[in-house]
Parts: sequence; C-alpha cells; structure tokens
Amino acid sequence: MSTETTPGRWRLPAALRLGNAGVVYALVLLVAVLTLAGQAQGRVFYLGPTNVANILDQTTLIGLMVVTTTMVLISGNFDLSVGAVAALGAAVCLSLADDIGFWPALVAALATGALIGLLNGVVVQYVGINAFIVTLGTMTAVRGLVLIVTDGRTVTAPDGAVRDGLHAIDGGSWITPNLYLLAGLAVLAVGAWRAVRSRQWRPPRVLVPLAAGVVLVAASPVAIFTIRITQRVLYLLVLAAVAAWVLRYTTIGRRLYASGGNPEAARLSGIAVDRYKVVAFVLNGTVAAFVGVLYAARLGSINPSGLSGFELTALAAAILGGTSLFGGLGSVSKSLVGALILITLRNGFNILNLGANWQGLVEGVVLIVAAGVYTVSLRRRQTRRIREDGPPAPPGADGTPPEPEKVVASAHGGAADRKDG
Amino acid sequence: MAESRPAGEPLLLLDGVTKTFPNGTRALRGVSLAVRPGSVHGLVGANGAGKSTLVKIISGAHPPSGGVLRWAGEDRRWRDPGAARRAGIATIHQHVPLVPTLSVIENVFLDRPGAWRMTRGLRAEFGALVDRLGYEVDPDAVAGDLPIGVRQMVSVLQSLAAGARLVIMDEPTASLSEKERRVVFDAVRRLSAQGTAFLYISHFFDEILELTDRTTVIRDGRTVLDEATEDVTEGMLVRAVAGRELLAAERDAGEAAAEDGPGPDAPAVLQVAGLSSAAGVRDVSFDVRAGEIVGIAGLLGSGRSELLRAVFRDDPSATGTVRVAGAPVKRSARAAVAAGIAYVPEDRAGQGLHGGLPLWQNISLPDLARLSRGRLVPRAADERARAERAVADLGIVTAGVDAVPGELSGGNAQKVVFAKWMYADTRVWLLDEPTAGVDVGAKADLLRLVRRFAAQGKAVVLVCSEFEELLSVATRVLVVRGGRIVAERDASRTDEEELLLLAHGLRAGPPPGPPAGSSAGPSAGRSAQAGRPSDPNREEEVPREH
Repeated sequence: MSTETTPGRWRLPAALRLGNAGVVYALVLLVAVLTLAGQAQGRVFYLGPTNVANILDQTTLIGLMVVTTTMVLISGNFDLSVGAVAALGAAVCLSLADDIGFWPALVAALATGALIGLLNGVVVQYVGINAFIVTLGTMTAVRGLVLIVTDGRTVTAPDGAVRDGLHAIDGGSWITPNLYLLAGLAVLAVGAWRAVRSRQWRPPRVLVPLAAGVVLVAASPVAIFTIRITQRVLYLLVLAAVAAWVLRYTTIGRRLYASGGNPEAARLSGIAVDRYKVVAFVLNGTVAAFVGVLYAARLGSINPSGLSGFELTALAAAILGGTSLFGGLGSVSKSLVGALILITLRNGFNILNLGANWQGLVEGVVLIVAAGVYTVSLRRRQTRRIREDGPPAPPGADGTPPEPEKVVASAHGGAADRKDG
Repeated sequence: MAESRPAGEPLLLLDGVTKTFPNGTRALRGVSLAVRPGSVHGLVGANGAGKSTLVKIISGAHPPSGGVLRWAGEDRRWRDPGAARRAGIATIHQHVPLVPTLSVIENVFLDRPGAWRMTRGLRAEFGALVDRLGYEVDPDAVAGDLPIGVRQMVSVLQSLAAGARLVIMDEPTASLSEKERRVVFDAVRRLSAQGTAFLYISHFFDEILELTDRTTVIRDGRTVLDEATEDVTEGMLVRAVAGRELLAAERDAGEAAAEDGPGPDAPAVLQVAGLSSAAGVRDVSFDVRAGEIVGIAGLLGSGRSELLRAVFRDDPSATGTVRVAGAPVKRSARAAVAAGIAYVPEDRAGQGLHGGLPLWQNISLPDLARLSRGRLVPRAADERARAERAVADLGIVTAGVDAVPGELSGGNAQKVVFAKWMYADTRVWLLDEPTAGVDVGAKADLLRLVRRFAAQGKAVVLVCSEFEELLSVATRVLVVRGGRIVAERDASRTDEEELLLLAHGLRAGPPPGPPAGSSAGPSAGRSAQAGRPSDPNREEEVPREH
C-alpha cells in the first residue's frame, strides 16, 4: 500500500495539490523570477504597489472575458466570436452615442452582444452545428459588420456628454485599505466559519487559517500594502465573485457542469441542457460587448480591427487555468490566474526590457507546457483509478483496509479540481 | 456441446497466476486454467472476481505477478499487448472498438502494413475470411452504420485477419438479440471446429452451458470450479459464482409476487395513447396501473427502447399522449421528470451517469431543486445524506459517496442510476435493460428493487431482452415488434418460448390478457404482421445525430 494513505500523516488539502493548484504555483514562480530579475537589474521593485496595480488593470479586459468564456467551455461549447463582438459593441456604442445619448447607446451595445450570443447559442444547440464552426462564422461576419458600422474608419468619441459617459463607466479609482489587514480578516472569517460549521477547533483546516489570520492582522500596523484600484478592476472582481459563487454553490452551476460533462445524461435527468448552453453564449456575448466599450473608453475611440485575436487570448487563459475544451471541467478563479500569468508575462517583458519579439514564443510555449501538465496529471489520476478499480475488494475479506481511503482521496481531488469556482 | 474434444498439449496454460497491483491490492490469488486448441472455454465470475484482470494478463496489458503463463508450450511473458497479438491472441471487448467512419474491410485489415488502403489481394483475403466465418458482411458498409451484432462479427473477422489462434470474447452477447446471439454462436462453433480456440466470458449461464467445452469459474481472484461443461449444471455455476443459492430463490419469490399483483381496480398511473414517433414507434397505447410491472418483450430493433424513450417524452418527433395520474405530460424529458417519471436508460455510462461528478452529485441531480434552499443553492449536507442513505439501502459497494461512477462495477453503477430516482417524487419507472452486463448477485438485488417499487404502488415498465428474467418480475407482458404492440400476455399464463415466438413474429397472438388498456388487440397484431412481414431487425440502431 502506498505511503500516501498512512493514517495520521497530514496531507496537503486537495485544493492545494499540484494537479489542482498548479496554475497558482506557476504564477507565484513567474512573479518570483520576475521580481528577482528586476532586483538583479536594479530596477523598480517588481511587486511594488504601482506595478501590481498596473498588472491588475491590464488583466481586466481579458479577465472579464475569461470568466464567461470559462462558463461557455464548461457548458461544453466554444466561442471564437468574442473579439469581433467586443469591437462591434464598442463601435455600436460610439456610433450611436452622439444621436441617442451615451447610456441608451451602452444598452444598445450590450443588447447587440447578447443578441449575437443568442444567435450563436441557438444555431449551435437547436440547429446542431458544431460550435467551432458557428462561432468561426460569426467571428468573420461580425468583424465585417464592424466595418459596415464604422465604414472602415476609426470611430472617435465626440467630446462632451459621450466622453463624460465613458468617464463615468471607466474613470474612477480608489486606494484600497491595507491589504494585509483585509487578507487577515478574510482568512480569520474563513477559519471561524469552518469552526462554527464543524463545531471543532482542532483540525488543521480550522487552525491554519485562524493562525494565519491572527498573524496577518497583528502584522498589519507595520506591514502596509495599499494599491490603487481602478473602476474596471472592480467590475472584474464583482463579475468573477458572482460567477464563481453561481458555479460553485447554486443549482445553476451544478447543472451547467452536468450539461457540459454529459449532455445526454443531464437531459435525461430533467435538465434543460439546451437552455443552459444558450444562456452561457448570451452571457459571453454581453460581456464581450461590455469589454469592447471599456476598451474604447480608455482609448476614446475604436479601430475596426481593434481587439483582433482577443478571443484566442481568452481561450489561452482559460486553458492555462485547466478548463477542459470538452466541457464539464473548469473554474473561474483558475482561469483568472491563467489570465494573470499571460499579462504578467507581457508586463515582465516590458519592465525588464526583454525585447518584445520573444513574447509570442514564450507565451505559446507556456500554454503548451501548461496543457501538457494538466493532461499528464489527469491521465495519471485516471490510471490510478483504473488500478484501484481492478481488484475485487470483497467487503470483509482479508486484505486491504486502507484502500477505500485512497480512492476517496483521489476522487476528492477530482471533485475539487472542478469545483473551486 | 463439444462432440470431439481435442486432446494434447493445451494452447494456453495458466498455472497459479497471481496479480498484485502496485498499491497492494491482490486482484488474482491463483488462477489456473488450460485452453486446448479448437475448444471453447467458458470463463464465469461475478463483477470484480478478477475476470478483467485475467483477460488483461492473457492479452498482455498487465504482466502477472506470479505463476506460469504458457503459450503453445512455451513459458511467455508479454512485453505489451502487441506481442500477445502477434503471437496469436485476439481480444474482442464488449464495446466493439471499430473505427466508425471506415468501411468494414478497412476495419478488418486496420493493422495491416502496406501503402495502399485497399488492394484486390485484401479483398480476396476478406472473401476467404468470410467463408471461414460463414457469415456474410458487406465489405464496403461503413462500420458505424452497422447494428451492434454485425459489428461484433466484424471484430471476429478482425481477429481472424490477425491470425488469431485464441480469441477472447468478453461478454459478446450482452447487448445482442436472440437472433444475433445465434449468429455469434454459429460463428464460434464453426471457427472452433477449424481449430481456433475461444475463451468465452459471459454472465449468461445458459450460453456457457450450451456453447462451451470446459468451464472455469473464478471468485475473489481464485479458480473455484474447472470442469468439462457436460458435467456442470446451472445450479453448480450459481453456487460457484455467488457462493450462495441465489437466483433460484429469487425466481420463486418472483413467481409468488407475480401472482398476487395489483387488483384490477388499482388506478392507472401511466396512460399511453396513440404514441408514434419517427424513430419507429407505431400507434402504441397501453395503461400501467399502480403496483403493476409491465414487461416489454421485443428483440433488439423491435422499437422497445424507442418506445420507452417516447414514453419518457424525450423524442421530439413523438405524437400521441402520455398521462401520469390523469394529467398529460408535455413533450420534453424535463416535463416527464417533473411529472414523476423516472428513466433508467440502457447505456448507463453514456446516458445515466456523469463520469465527472461524484456519486452524491449524480444521485441528487434529478431532484436537485428540492434539495436546495430557495431551489437555488443546493444543501450539500442533504445531498450527501441522501447518497449515504442510497449506499446503505441498495448495498452499493463503493469507497464512499465521493467516488466517481467509473470506480464502481457495472451492478453498483446501475444501483446509483436507480438511486437518482428512488428518493425523488417518482410515480412511474421506465427501466431499459436494467440488468444488462450485471453479475448474478447485483442482478438479484436490482430485480428485488423493481418489485419493491411495484409494492410501493409505483407503475413500472420494464424492457429486458432476457425473457426469462422478464417473466420472473413482470405482472403483464406486452410483446413489441416493428414498433407496435403485437400481443399482450399475463405473465403467469405465458412462457419464454411463447414470447420468443411472438417477438420473432412466428405466431400471431390473440391476447388473452386482462382488458386493461389493451388497445393493441388482435387486429393490431395482425396488421403488424401484414405490414412488416420480412425482417424483424430492420430498425436496429436507429441512427442518432450528435
């Protein structure tokens, strides 16, 4: 019997193991390397408040997109059209804003995005054409539509009310309270919640967060870290939190995973599979249009070829986060970490002045390596499962009592992999 | 039964083979068997007895931990499955792995080297193989379009093409109709007479007794019975496999239950009227009363599964009405679930279970809204409690409710599918081949459950290709052929033979059964005869879009 199951030996919680949290460790490693490299070159501290705020701000657009893209992927579909839809959203908003006012124009842009999402979803689910083909088509067609709407020229937001509107949705920023204090309080709350739920103070899953919380709160008067949060980062935090909660804790999330993992079994269990999949597309289109407007808000204009290739970056981030292209598997938080990795790489190249020519090559290699790690770890997990499946395990027979424990552990890993929202 | 038993050196000899997995589990604790050239050797054992591991060792997928594997007189140890295959061991798995988009002949010669896809030489060779097999297959038919029985024969051809001297067949008939079974049997007999040996694995004792020369039973990784088949009885097999007298007792209980079925005044829970569908269901009407188990007897391709699917309202092309307790059910699976219809599909892994979700989430899925706060936020504790209860109630052998379905044996996985509906507000059970590919013990458990549902006053519709099993639980039997109900029989007043004749269309039956809901009278039976006289298996495998 393997040493893993030796009773009494403390094991890393499933959520922190390499197969599940690999992407987080990759980000930590990347940041550490960049920080050390920055120090060695005598540059500004990489993890300083300004740069951290920058990275967050730069991650927002791709981050917003990856949240709903992950949902589409979980539902077992695929959406290539979001880059074009984002450009169309921006074009619609800026073109109409002068005539009908900014806010109605924003609503029109979001509705356009939702409508294209609906079209994608209906054609994929009810006509039954493969999502890759359908969204490849809408990607091309919508990009054409952008050219028609803009007449092939860059559309610039006129001064006055429209600029004010753009500023209203993307101008604000706030200084956060001390993040050490916030983190400490959050961790304490988690520990307290677990203690109340399980009515126990002893297990490490209660003690570790409580201790960490106390340390952080105690250190907070000395260790101070505050950053400037822009308005768009706030959008990202809210959307990601809501999406993660819905996926992790609600029937909607459960049914979305079920619909993506095995649509047939889900339908026969009475789930409106088609509806869930279509709604994922609609959300994706809506968020894409909003991302487009945010993009235009910063620039004050939209170029008809703007945001090209955006959909691929979003997919790359989701894949880095371990989302399966076959549905039923994925998590918003890990996809976001995937987005952070991509942005950190770009940011690092800038900060360290490492020749932007290498950037694409490195990003591509990172993507393939990440996908390779996931595939291999999944395969190893499955082989282990098959080995455990083979034996008869007669109840009460002589032999192998620790066996079931191990199965639970590996199954738990599988569940956590999918379910940490 | 074998007339001439070939003597001499065994082709394959296993002596005291053991297998211990790296994690310490002992899957095999000493299996011995000898397969002689040209013999058909039966291998029987419950799920988890070690059959699969044994097959993997013989076919080179796993190395044995101990013991002797002697092939054609030499001690061998396969480096990989390819080595075993080259030496002449072919394995035909239950789920026939053909390339669905290639033609039959391309599948048969898939591993043939050479630059050209199809040569005249290969065609000639294909012809020769077909002659050896004695079964005509169109070499240019696309494999994916063929019924499962024919695909089975294609994989037999494949193993012949590879020059196999020993063919291992793992549950070859589990999803075949009686007629297709006959074809497989004939092929096996014919080839064994030509000198090919077979290791034939089956849950069906009658097959083992009919087809094989020698029978080996393994239990808990050990050989517990190894005798010439002519000296073996069904009772011996049951005792050897299960270690207890089981099926016989079940049957007695079943007959008793069938006799005291529901009274004729029990209310009709499920009413089906004028149901037709593009998938081949034609004007089917029947009622099922509370506490009644209605068996659907039909051959593969008779429309029995399509009928069940249409009753579950999952066929968008269906016309006609389905009522549960008098209220019509709209045409969607969702409406059917809401109305209290439970559906246990034929394909457990593909249609019944989510491989990625742990058991507790699988079990709660159809009834998730009721287990949630405000129908929105599932209460995980309640879901787990329900799953724990199911594990205890049904005796599901599992490491825990966090296991995923893939870790369970067939019978236990099927119990999980049952559990999905047992605690929901279910009034009607539609069961499609619930005991296919399940070992004896689990089969008895499942049949007992089906009876329990009826005793609780549910309406049960049961499709089962084992007519004997069907008769052991059903109160009434509807015979389906060509998508129609061609006959209706009281279970206590018919037998397996009559059902077979009816299902094959060899006898048109004036149904003497009770009048309840029998719109399928003699005329329906005859018109079905007249309308579709030729081929009962015409509709095998209705193509489905993906």
